[in-house]
Amino acid sequence: MKKFQFATIALALLTACSNSGGATGTRTAPTSANTVKVTVIYGSEKKDWLEPQVVKFNAARLKTVAGTTVVVEATAMGSVESADGILKGDLQPTVWSPASSIYIPVANLEWRKKNTSDLVDGKVNDLVLSPVVIAMWKPMAEALGWPAKQLGWADIARLSTAGKGWDTYGYPEWGAFKFGHTHPFFSNSGVTAMLAMAYAGSGKQRGLTLDDVANPATRKFVESVQSSVIHYGSSTGFFGDRMFDRGPSYLSAAVLYENLIVAQEDKRIKGQSAQLPVVAIYPQEGTFWANNPYAVLNAPWVTKDQRDGAAVFEKFLLDRPQQLAALEFGWRPADPAIGLSAPLDADHGVDTTQPKTVLEVPTADVIQATQSLWKTAKKPVDVTVVLDISGSMQGARIASARQSLQQFIGLLDDRDRLRVVLFSTTAKELSPLTALGPKRDELLRRVGGIIEGGDTRLFDTVLETYKALAKDGDPRNIRALVVLTDGEDNQSNPASKAELTRISDARGGEGGSSIKIFTIAYGTEAPTKALQEIAEPSGGKQYSSNPANIRSIYSEIATFF
Amino acid sequence: MRLRGSKTYIMKSQRLLFVGIIAVAALFVGGLLLVRNFVPGANPTVTVTLLYSTEKEDWLKSMVPQFEASSFGRVNGHPIKVEMKKLGSREVYLSVLNGEEKPDIISPASMLQIAILEDESRKKFGTPLVTVADRNLCKPVVSTPLVFVGWRERVDTLWPSGPGPDAWKKLQTAMMDQRGWSAFGKPEWGYLKFSHTNPLLSNSGFQAIVLMAYDQTRKTSGLSSADILANKDFQTWFQGMEGNITQFGSSTGDMMKEMVTYGPSRFDMLALYESVAIEQATNAKNRYGDLRVYYPPATLVSDHPFCVLNASWVNTEHRDAAISFTNYLLGRPAQEAALLNHGFRPTSREVPLDQAGSPFIKFADLGLKIGLPPEVQLPPGDVLSTLLDFWTRTTKN
Repeated sequence: MKKFQFATIALALLTACSNSGGATGTRTAPTSANTVKVTVIYGSEKKDWLEPQVVKFNAARLKTVAGTTVVVEATAMGSVESADGILKGDLQPTVWSPASSIYIPVANLEWRKKNTSDLVDGKVNDLVLSPVVIAMWKPMAEALGWPAKQLGWADIARLSTAGKGWDTYGYPEWGAFKFGHTHPFFSNSGVTAMLAMAYAGSGKQRGLTLDDVANPATRKFVESVQSSVIHYGSSTGFFGDRMFDRGPSYLSAAVLYENLIVAQEDKRIKGQSAQLPVVAIYPQEGTFWANNPYAVLNAPWVTKDQRDGAAVFEKFLLDRPQQLAALEFGWRPADPAIGLSAPLDADHGVDTTQPKTVLEVPTADVIQATQSLWKTAKKPVDVTVVLDISGSMQGARIASARQSLQQFIGLLDDRDRLRVVLFSTTAKELSPLTALGPKRDELLRRVGGIIEGGDTRLFDTVLETYKALAKDGDPRNIRALVVLTDGEDNQSNPASKAELTRISDARGGEGGSSIKIFTIAYGTEAPTKALQEIAEPSGGKQYSSNPANIRSIYSEIATFF
Repeated sequence: MRLRGSKTYIMKSQRLLFVGIIAVAALFVGGLLLVRNFVPGANPTVTVTLLYSTEKEDWLKSMVPQFEASSFGRVNGHPIKVEMKKLGSREVYLSVLNGEEKPDIISPASMLQIAILEDESRKKFGTPLVTVADRNLCKPVVSTPLVFVGWRERVDTLWPSGPGPDAWKKLQTAMMDQRGWSAFGKPEWGYLKFSHTNPLLSNSGFQAIVLMAYDQTRKTSGLSSADILANKDFQTWFQGMEGNITQFGSSTGDMMKEMVTYGPSRFDMLALYESVAIEQATNAKNRYGDLRVYYPPATLVSDHPFCVLNASWVNTEHRDAAISFTNYLLGRPAQEAALLNHGFRPTSREVPLDQAGSPFIKFADLGLKIGLPPEVQLPPGDVLSTLLDFWTRTTKN
């Protein structure tokens, strides 16, 4: 099942994050004999609120009834990827707090295949609330008729398929409509976005069935929205950052949680962000809530002490001071005694009289079918992998580079198009930009036989392959260049890097739809800074890697598409 | 010099002896008291355990410390400590019947559950664990009727003239209509989201389906199993209503809290207790606005009995302590607190509903009424079981 392929990615990602000290930090506190450690894995969108609460809680040295001091260690992670990690048993937290309860029935369904009881059972309390919304730059929302007109998924689908993009609405200067949501196999908001699209496509608001998901009309609607997606991502917090850092030329709108809009507007109002105002669109067809359930797992690795400790931490989070702190970060408190006041207001882009309605959460099998629908309805990717096979790659480096590239190929769909270019003193095309399906087995075999030797002609090769992808790639597809190198360039024209940086800048004409460059600095001799300078302006990302974590890096890159 | 054998000497020595005995006795008693007060375990606490239905949680949590500190809070000189556990009303009696819980007192939402436990425990053990008719050991403490609670704009759209005699019928028709609120010109409200708690878990949901059954059979008493099993019209109607509810709550208090926490997007209207609506009235105003109580054409009242169990684990001291706790809850301070702070209707006639500070005055705009609609008769246990079984077959619970 594809899902468990993604489970592997999830675990690899966790490793990558902990190795690289990435965005998903871990909060630890010293423990001693009379303490109990409660581990919490939580959805990344509540990191800004939760992290300071963990610090405060650990400093308070609160105790269980039995007198044991509770110490909390909390890790942020995409909600779906954490579920998959827990189901495999590789992640063993005391508490799981995904972004919403939607994925709990799926987790229970999978858990029960090997266990006699549910992973999450009994009543689970919500920590904080936020509706799933479409974040859109205010001028763009106004161009669509907001706020007089309540917008929805039908508007997004219409805009996505309008050949002229924003020109259709009299704003040619804004270019194409560029949309984004997270990867539905990693993140809760990606799942909810897909469910909302499936509901909108089937014309329903409740009772979504497997037949509805399989209906060609549903697929057509989903494909319409997906056609405007610039790329996906592993977490909602990441998407929010992308949108708010890079602005309207990069993304016109994205599926986020309301609280992220409040936080961005708060920054803008305080002069910490120069972007346009952003507003929350509450889809008129209905939406879902991120309710951030606090689930103490019914798993064999959770001890009674940890269960007691988890209850102490839960009570702390639900106490008024912590709930009031959540309000400051744009969350709607779970404590009904706390009113919905500033910053939950129009000045911060949100409307607390919304949402007017919700969509019914479908059964676990329908959720899984909707995830599968995404796999076949999403935009294909045209990707070129540029692999350094210079002499310095010998030994473990080339071996793990081969294996990780094979694994990366396994993550791509048959209809995705892949080109593989090897370079040392010169560049050689191992495989042209053609659909992966018919050539998958042959390509895997050829990759397994790659050998190293020669110098490093890095930037000339990247520039050439970038230009080739710009020429041969389909601009309707997600286009990406993945570059792996382990050494300084000693063969290229010095002007190549500057040219590459100039033409690949996502602030240019195509904005967020431009080719993304992902660079992997493999080992300590790789030109990390130079690679960063070509990756980040394109909307891609630079990674520092080694033979131990290269698989997880490739996996994270795959979450973009 | 005084002689030992003199009368004066004898009298004085007797007095001294008497004073000495009194002093020693006083010292003994005083010491005993000191020991009781300051030496742990010297004056053991009598712990009373209570299993109660969730909707009373806030009231009981505020009353217990006051009771323990009051003159009621002692039995045979020992301090009483109350330990409480909340469960759904059905779980309250089932857990006792199954032996999972061994409390001294149980307090489900209604005498209905006490009647079922009396019947079931008699069958199981030969002697009932509770007796409805024993007003020494089993006393209703506060009451509240089943009502509709909804967001005013939406309920007024559904029932422009209020919930008249055809309230349930109109509601069911709207629930069945796949156009949802679009049929009322309000497409932005989505599908109609009425709900109640799961009757297998919670008394208010149980009461809601009893009211539906009575309404559809056009009765207010004498509901029979045949009314449920041999009436195709009722069955179709009931399936239309319950089959279109997308989410049943597990507890009344939590469901009301959810309505207020999430606002109208989650629920348009619920059938639950007047008291929980009152309890959340202020919160609702501060979050999503105008919430209102609507009284159904006929209702059922939950009387919240406190019943001391006739069980081997309840000894005389526990029983006396439990009775003392119940009596405290029936006293004026606790009854007033139940009304003023938690929206319950007091059992004590000394506490009027229309007194100053009463929610029936304070929250008049909530639609509260002191006078109640007619009450339907509680059906016998076998009829209730038939209805529950039918509900289980009908819904996607």
